[in-house]
Amino acid sequence: MPEEFIQHANPKGSLETIGKRLPRIDAGKRVTGEAIYPADMHLPGMAIAKLKRSPHAHAKILSIDTTKALALDGVLAVVTAEDFPDLEPGTSVPMGQGSCDVWMVGQINMARHKVLWVGQPVAAVAAVDKHIAEQALELIEVHYEVLDAVFTMEDAQAETAPILHDSIRTSGLDAPINKPSNICSRTIFERGDCDTGVTSSHAVTEVSVSIDTAHQGYIEPQAVVAKYDREGLTTMWVSTQGHFTAELVTAKILGIPQSKIRVIPLEIGGGFGGKVFVHGEPVAAKLSEKSSKPIKLVFSREEVLQGGSGPTAAMQAKVTVGANSDGRINTLIAKVHVDAGGLPNMSPAIILQVLAALYQTPNLFLEGYDVVTNKPRTEAYRAPGGIQAAFAMEQAIDQMSEKLDMDPLNFRKKNFAVTGSIMPAGTPFPCIGVQEIAEAIAKHPCWTTPLEPGEMPRGRGLAFGYWRGTSMTSACHVTISGDGRPMFTLGSVDISGSSTAMAQVAAEQFQMPLQDVYVATGDSKSVGYTDIAAASRVTRTMASAVVDASQKALDELKIRAATLIQRMPSELTYDHGSFRTADVGGPSISSAEVMQSTLTQGAIVCHGISTDLPFGVEVGAHVCDVEVDEDTGQITVLRYTAFQDVGLAINPAAVEGQIEGSVVQGLGWAITEGFDYGDDGRLRNASLLDYRIPTALDVPSIETVLLQKPVPGVPYGLRGVGEVPIVPVAACVANAVYRATGARMTQMPMTPERVLTAIQANKTN
Amino acid sequence: MDLFNFQTPRSIPELIAAKNSANAWLLAGGTDLIPQLKEDRRKAETIIDVKKIAAMTNISAEQDGGLNIGAAVTATTIAQSEIVCASYPALAYSVALIGSRQVQNRASLGGNVCNAAPSADAVPALMSYGALANIEGTKGKRSLMVEEIFTGPGRTVLEQDEVLASITLPALPENTAAVYQRFTPRREMDIAVAGVSSRITLDANSKIVDAKIALASVGPTPLRAKAAEMTLIGEVPSLKLFEAAGAAAASDASPIDDTRGSADYRRHLVSVLCRRTLASATKELIQGDLP
Amino acid sequence: MSKEILACTVNGDKQSSLIDPRDTLLEFLRDRLGLTGTKEGCSNGNCGSCTVIVDGQTLCSCLMFAAEAQECEITTVEGLATVEGFHEVQDALVRHGGTQCGFCTPGVLMSAVGLFNENPNPNEDEIRLAIAGNICRCTGYEKIVKALQDVTANGEVA
Repeated sequence: MPEEFIQHANPKGSLETIGKRLPRIDAGKRVTGEAIYPADMHLPGMAIAKLKRSPHAHAKILSIDTTKALALDGVLAVVTAEDFPDLEPGTSVPMGQGSCDVWMVGQINMARHKVLWVGQPVAAVAAVDKHIAEQALELIEVHYEVLDAVFTMEDAQAETAPILHDSIRTSGLDAPINKPSNICSRTIFERGDCDTGVTSSHAVTEVSVSIDTAHQGYIEPQAVVAKYDREGLTTMWVSTQGHFTAELVTAKILGIPQSKIRVIPLEIGGGFGGKVFVHGEPVAAKLSEKSSKPIKLVFSREEVLQGGSGPTAAMQAKVTVGANSDGRINTLIAKVHVDAGGLPNMSPAIILQVLAALYQTPNLFLEGYDVVTNKPRTEAYRAPGGIQAAFAMEQAIDQMSEKLDMDPLNFRKKNFAVTGSIMPAGTPFPCIGVQEIAEAIAKHPCWTTPLEPGEMPRGRGLAFGYWRGTSMTSACHVTISGDGRPMFTLGSVDISGSSTAMAQVAAEQFQMPLQDVYVATGDSKSVGYTDIAAASRVTRTMASAVVDASQKALDELKIRAATLIQRMPSELTYDHGSFRTADVGGPSISSAEVMQSTLTQGAIVCHGISTDLPFGVEVGAHVCDVEVDEDTGQITVLRYTAFQDVGLAINPAAVEGQIEGSVVQGLGWAITEGFDYGDDGRLRNASLLDYRIPTALDVPSIETVLLQKPVPGVPYGLRGVGEVPIVPVAACVANAVYRATGARMTQMPMTPERVLTAIQANKTN
Repeated sequence: MDLFNFQTPRSIPELIAAKNSANAWLLAGGTDLIPQLKEDRRKAETIIDVKKIAAMTNISAEQDGGLNIGAAVTATTIAQSEIVCASYPALAYSVALIGSRQVQNRASLGGNVCNAAPSADAVPALMSYGALANIEGTKGKRSLMVEEIFTGPGRTVLEQDEVLASITLPALPENTAAVYQRFTPRREMDIAVAGVSSRITLDANSKIVDAKIALASVGPTPLRAKAAEMTLIGEVPSLKLFEAAGAAAASDASPIDDTRGSADYRRHLVSVLCRRTLASATKELIQGDLP
Repeated sequence: MSKEILACTVNGDKQSSLIDPRDTLLEFLRDRLGLTGTKEGCSNGNCGSCTVIVDGQTLCSCLMFAAEAQECEITTVEGLATVEGFHEVQDALVRHGGTQCGFCTPGVLMSAVGLFNENPNPNEDEIRLAIAGNICRCTGYEKIVKALQDVTANGEVA
């Protein structure tokens, strides 16, 4: 067993609870309807809030008249941007290694002076019931000066394009231009000499792709209950991926001290990156303050899709790969444009890094642009940018292997990065089981069994994926109960079964059965600051915090135990709930007895904090078989196998669940999802009928193969698991479609119509 | 949604009386009407629940061998009806495509017709079986071919005082088979990008003596593909014939571009589905591979 | 147009309640009875989170007016478990990890109960068809299907 596994194991050096397939500790309330989400909350006197949203994609707000709405019987309050402080662009709060742009989140919650996409909120109303609230929205009069709008990145970059933000100057240019632009940033990673690389290559191949915006598709629409009380404290019950960030951001948007706001995270009905930012929470809080009533704000599904929440970024990418005759890559060039929506998004640096991370090459030129368009500001979605980047890169790799007449797995094995090789950003490639995955695929029936012919053309695809994730900070504390059991309060919300995993870590630490430990998420006033539940970080970093707190608590218990049995603490060993001495027949005392005797001498309260843990980089590879109806373009996925290095699976069932869900999300985006914007910037498929998330009938059984190569320096060798399994999916399907039909897929989603067009074009050529 | 009055008549005359007022809508399954009301696409002053009217919730055999299906009978009841499955399998199959099982348990045949969506899954099968729509109103009863009901998307010939009471499926001649197929990106929970129902009747020499082909989602209303039908009459089934019928059906279609598909793609799908449904219907009547 | 009284049976309990004719069955259950286990995910019958059983038939409670439920027997997710324990379908979902965020879970359970009431031994295709109206974004359906296959293997469902 590797060092990292046993570092914190019991005296026998084995793991007892970690690694077991256990039901979620909160599964019972999920199957009985007892789990409470914000929309389920009811408070006495509660009023209903609704948002008025912009019908225009780009317009100046000339005036907003709320008189008639306020005069309607049953209307309690109306708010507009005038009710919030006018934040300076650049206003931010800390988040992880970076910061969260509060000015941007403010715009998502309430437009000021200008609307930048259809569906951006411009006013809100609270009323005694939803029918009156809806009527009141009709009575709010907003006068706009409609401006020309841009909906594609190409149009946004045109010389004469209408400018969304007068303050934006393109950053990262070799020669800065002091002129407003819709291109927010340019990012470059460069090494070697790509011009020479291309000309000296034995084979060169190129893939250009265009990927539509997609939505996270959480089934629970955004919802919040806010209550402003007589003492000036606002309490918010939220569905969020980060209640501390929600609190920091909301306080800033409201212009109130953080001491005047308390955020209670309830269950979250799916987030996948889309519930990192607040969507309506500050508005509900302000309506509560103005009406002196508790306020419930719940989005409709149409609002979620039509500008009320951030979908994820559309992208265009062109990848050029050059290789030597021996099958080694010598050049990699990529140009990526990311569609941020109406407000600047992140720099494309991480997307470029992810695109190129898995392969070694002496010559590299990666270039990325962040472009604004008059569409909803995009937000994160499970390994943000990863699936788009891999759709380009892994198709290019597949194409090159074919050009060199090499097996696609062997071609990759020849070119994979190895621990310590230099990644695009100049950092060393981590210790991770890329080659181990390749070996596992080579032996697996999903790869070795020949594809059976069907009535229609079939093909097998392979794609790899890389995701970096991050660590940020996590906090928890533990107190010891009067009967010696640990009671943990975590700063993290649970979006992935992490509370169950933490209960397993706590049980392992205290060498107790799972049911003897208590684990719960604390609200923003009852536990230490913890960053958002995102970027594959919570389980790893919170486990580290739980280990930290556990060790401190066990040390304190040991001191008390030693006093009670009159030995030195150093003589005692902790073993399954008891402290004993090494000498045979020596005294021992259980932690229950310790606490029975010492509880009233003072609580044991120990905190655990994890900061700057080594990144739990993720690697996975997928193999799928597809059948393509060449008459209609419909893709049927026949078989799907996902391989992943998961470091150590605390709960293999939960890890499989992350991978299975991820793959099906990926299949959705790959084949049937994708935002379809009309010429007016309105989303044409703003319903779950036309935004086609896969049903159980649309996907095959997903097989998962877990490999475990621990991360050095991390308790139990844990690494992230929840994001990378979406990364290879679309490329894997595209490569399979290519093998089936000979047609290269350049658009995603690969809708039947697009597949048919590609097949027909390929036959014509 | 504005307040409305909710009525539950027990007989068709009571129903007609209730419906004969402005903005009165019939509610059977509600699977189309309720979303339309929620989104203010329809305004209602009166909502009339028809499910307590016995005559509208029965399936009954006609004396001449045909079948009468009450307008409020649900998709699930039709899909599970032995007589429908045995005699009108294309209808049993097509109603089981409407939405999800939860939707099929509520959605009614009459609603699928009267909502007049070009994509209505049950309608092409009804049209190719030559079904009649039985309408009752203050001035009496009238029966129309189902395809004569539609005047545009969401619009029918029904007057304010009229209701669709039932659908009659005529007895079919020997050697008749019908097949409905639609194309959707998802297998369930989806709206037809295009749908084709093909019904053929063969004579003793295996010549096609009757053909009724109906198309979904490729025009303002469900359509008959009359040019395609003409190519078939008097001919012996063959793959080549069905290709030709498919091409003719594509020209019968008049689709639009929308979020579900382009007009060109829809036309292409019509030709594919027409060919496939004809081949599949023929297979039910003739052994062996098509020439 | 005044409010009217709805009399029906919910999870075995007789209910009599004032309703607005515009109330959907979903709003009646959640807002008037406080049975918030039934979820609203789309309000248009496209996600299945609000699935309940009315007179033996599964349906989307967002697509039915409460007024239509007069004299009806309604079962919601809150009506599945008894004092003896979970319904077998609940138990299977717990054991197999068939619930993640939990938002679709009540609807999935009701569709599954509807399936087993009609067909005690469904195969995988029948299971997938029966829950096709229930969109789950977390699980990829794998562990839901496995759980329901396990119910099948265990035989009859109460």
